[in-house]
Amino acid sequence: MHYPEIILFCILVPLIGSFILPFLGKINAGLRNIAALIFVLTSFVTAGFALQQALNGSPLHIELAMPLGLSFGFLADGLAVLMALISSLAAAIIIFYSFGYMEHYDNQNEYYMLVTLLTGAGMGMFFSTSLLILYCFWEIAAICGWRLIGLHRENDIAVKADKAFLINIGGSLLMLLGFIGIYIQNGTFNMLEMQDKGLDNWIMILILFGILSKSATVPLHSWLPDDSSAPAPVTALLNGAILVNTGVYVFARMFLVNFHLDAVWNLVIPIIAAISALVAAGAAMTENDIKRILSYSAVSQIGFIFLGLSCGNAVGAAGGLLYILTNCLALGGLFLCAGIIEHKCHTQDISQLGGLAQKLPITCIAFAMCAFSVMGIPPFGGFFARYLVIDGAFTAANPWIAAVFIIGSVMTVIYLSRAFIKVFFGQLTHPDIREGSWEMVSSVCLLGALSLLAGIFTNIPSQLTTFIIDNLGRW
Amino acid sequence: MFNALGSFITSGSGTNLLLAMVALPAVLAAIILLIPKRNSGSRSLIFILACIIDLLCAIGLYIGEDMSMIIPWAGLEINLAMLLYPFSKLMLLAAASFAFLVGLYSISFMRGKQTGGQFFFYYLLSLALANGAFLANNMVVMLFFWEGLLITLFGMVIAGNKEKTAAAVKALVVNGIVDLLLMMGIAITCIQTGTMMMDVISNVPLEGIGTVGFICMFLGAAGKAAAIPFHSWLPDASKQTPTPFLAIMPAVLCKLLGVYLLVKMSVNFFDIRPGSSMSTMMMIIGALTVVLAIGMTLVQKDFKRILAYHTIGQTGYIVLAIGTATPVGIIGGMFYMLNCSAGNCCLFLTAGAVEKEAGITDLRKAGGLGRYMPITAICFLIAALSICCIPPFGGFFSQELVFTAAMQGGTVYLVAAFLGLFLTLISFLKLGRSIFFENSRLADETEKDSVKECPGAMLLPMLILAGSCVFLGVANSSPLSVIQPLLGGKAAGLNYAGWPSSHILVIITAGVLLLAIISHYIGCRKTGEAFKAADHITHLPVLRQLYNIAKKHYLDPYNIITVIFKVLAFICHCLERCLNWLLDTLIAGVISSAAAALHNFNTGSSRKYVFWTMVGLALLLLLVLILM
Repeated sequence: MHYPEIILFCILVPLIGSFILPFLGKINAGLRNIAALIFVLTSFVTAGFALQQALNGSPLHIELAMPLGLSFGFLADGLAVLMALISSLAAAIIIFYSFGYMEHYDNQNEYYMLVTLLTGAGMGMFFSTSLLILYCFWEIAAICGWRLIGLHRENDIAVKADKAFLINIGGSLLMLLGFIGIYIQNGTFNMLEMQDKGLDNWIMILILFGILSKSATVPLHSWLPDDSSAPAPVTALLNGAILVNTGVYVFARMFLVNFHLDAVWNLVIPIIAAISALVAAGAAMTENDIKRILSYSAVSQIGFIFLGLSCGNAVGAAGGLLYILTNCLALGGLFLCAGIIEHKCHTQDISQLGGLAQKLPITCIAFAMCAFSVMGIPPFGGFFARYLVIDGAFTAANPWIAAVFIIGSVMTVIYLSRAFIKVFFGQLTHPDIREGSWEMVSSVCLLGALSLLAGIFTNIPSQLTTFIIDNLGRW
Repeated sequence: MFNALGSFITSGSGTNLLLAMVALPAVLAAIILLIPKRNSGSRSLIFILACIIDLLCAIGLYIGEDMSMIIPWAGLEINLAMLLYPFSKLMLLAAASFAFLVGLYSISFMRGKQTGGQFFFYYLLSLALANGAFLANNMVVMLFFWEGLLITLFGMVIAGNKEKTAAAVKALVVNGIVDLLLMMGIAITCIQTGTMMMDVISNVPLEGIGTVGFICMFLGAAGKAAAIPFHSWLPDASKQTPTPFLAIMPAVLCKLLGVYLLVKMSVNFFDIRPGSSMSTMMMIIGALTVVLAIGMTLVQKDFKRILAYHTIGQTGYIVLAIGTATPVGIIGGMFYMLNCSAGNCCLFLTAGAVEKEAGITDLRKAGGLGRYMPITAICFLIAALSICCIPPFGGFFSQELVFTAAMQGGTVYLVAAFLGLFLTLISFLKLGRSIFFENSRLADETEKDSVKECPGAMLLPMLILAGSCVFLGVANSSPLSVIQPLLGGKAAGLNYAGWPSSHILVIITAGVLLLAIISHYIGCRKTGEAFKAADHITHLPVLRQLYNIAKKHYLDPYNIITVIFKVLAFICHCLERCLNWLLDTLIAGVISSAAAALHNFNTGSSRKYVFWTMVGLALLLLLVLILM
């Protein structure tokens, strides 16, 4: 069975389907919701088919030849499939959660359309072999992020949405200049023709701006904590599931798979990542808004991922890839738990919350499971990811950077345990609330359970990450 | 019968049994959590069955052949490798035996308590994780099981009191730091040796980064057993955690794990020589832990807190002994570990019995309970005498070995060890008399009449543990004959069984104990009450100030760490605000100003437009000329 068209299904079903959703919404809201879930699940299932082919060593590939190096296509190699599986699974769970969460919100047609479109754009980015096409999907994702953050139409929220959009667009325009630089250097936009090539530092810097802005890395991170006023599924989608991961993916695609970095970048990027991890963790420790704490945590964890991917050895790179998976599941789960809390208590301020374990016991357990995974405590998936990343830093003879990340890990334990304790224990502040809808509760339970399974059965994701690293043939 | 069990267990499906030692308690723990609260009987039944099965398996494995297994797991050499060999067999058996006894006790203790299900869950999960750590033959896999105990620790402390949560956060953060240090140590050591297999890592030289690896790993191992400076969570947690959990976790499992790794480090992993800088570091930390932790017991007024500090102090003795890197030190440390695990576990159980039956743990409110709870009092007495190094109990024989090792390490360590012994006896005299043997301070007759001996299911484990304190002393050759071979060639030809060989040390021990009794007598005469019997020491000029500082938690390393992290967080927060200001205000302001300035050019005057067009063209021309 070798049907390369499967990749097109994976991308086009959510991409085109998203535009049908508003019309379905006019007919029946339930139908729209189910359709959105089916479109996103199609991506997940088709990515699963593509996984088989990738592991067999014959990845699905479609290519359209064009003159002047403008040929483009889609390739479902291990890295692309891994990212597609992670993002589509998380997006599907988030959409399912939204059935309960978004029930009473306005602009639902717009919401479901944008979420599905964002998933499609993510899929397009992951499978694209052309830098130009990748850029197009990148911008679609930025537009979706902008509108999703500004879903509520209040002025202050619109300002925050504009800020996110401007930072993303600013970064992506610089990245586009970098892509043009690559074209000038290599005469093509096709990434398949760029394997194992070097890259000028000025191009690297331009592309890095785009990646850092999209992945919300310090100093271009501030749009991410500001999105905490958006609905919880949106924050989960942007912080954990898709948008931020696209930045990480492009980094991995460009600098793990395609180009060789100058040795200096193997030091500079871990330093940027370390500063980002530490600054964001410090900010999370001083915050009281639960969603802002989690957003800063997302920024901090992205630092760990960059460390793994940039330390220039197989252990670190495998850890970085595994980190993407575990972080997506656990952080997504935390945002969704925060959504239940906000939904029920009408506040995000942890100083005004307490004792909720009595009223929201299942959410409390799911929150704890996801938080333990982000902290990197076994038997949750985050443990192996964190170990490999730090091991990678030591292997790269960067003990000081590894030590900074150890400090970052301690800070993660401090701010997440503080948030957990303040919200779920102590004096009960909201005696009249009860658990969220079954869709919301089952979604967070699923993410918590997946975080646990990712640790106990780590051999399953690890096989894929090891396969990807082995196929790179670098180490 | 046991031989038959051993051959049955190790025949055919042996490797599965290694996995079962981890999986079985974990799965049964999960099942317990799923059983509704109203079926508490079923929960208790499954719980005790799990403990019995674990014990039977551990006995079977102990008797059976050595074995190993390896299953691919996380890739990059992280395989689920397990190895059953004499040392891991001993640890499994010790953990299973203590777990069974404390488990039996817990059923009665936890009856009617809201948190019963959670307790059984965390208890069995802790046992599963400890079993995994003992069996692991891959460094990262050992870390996986080791670090997993963080969750059970955190969960149990928080389940103890859901409103006062500071102790739970403290336990999580302190142990989290310890485990991260261990992780660093493991990462460095594995990179240096090029392998993660524990049976392959051998005699790593202590130089360069290897020393850092050793220090991190040592802090991780000693910290797990709550050595100073990673101790302060334990006394705080002891107040609110169910007593049986204290009896099994810090008093037994954490100690067994810490000692297991310390011995592996000393005997197998690293090339530690007596008198080396690393050996000195270990001995200093051990000696400090002994003196400071046991010293703190003198000002405590709570039964469980006193025992918690003694647990820390005993870890100090073990670290000191193993730190000498001599055969007598390592053997003594391991033998002492068995003795103080039995003794301390028994003491915690007596504390639990007093808490359950009399409803008090405060020394100032108790007294005379020995009359109402005579068997508990006898168990307390035997365990305390063992911990206080009094013959013929096991503590005496093991502690004499520790003293011998300390003497080989240097006089200062020997002095610290004896000072610790002096303080230990003073502390136990104060504790024992205040709780069991002084006149009752219970409020009224009704309260006194309601106090009775605890149920048989609670008494039996206490009696067995007290009996083991006697057995380990009277028949000390049996445990030593098991421990000594673990050192392989290093202990060849040595025999530490029987009466201590150093009569001088025995005489000094007797002298120190006599001094402690005199001190207690003086203290009682001065204050008139046993719980104040150490006040004449703690009120000494310099000590008084030091104790005041300690009581206010100024010296608590956790508080210091918390302050450091708060300062770091504040700096990071300010930096982050600055970056935000740069982006939100400065750059946005510059762009707005530029836009406003450009807006001023839109005057509608065609003459001005032509003028600016000409200027633009001229600049363009200039640029072209420069480029050409």
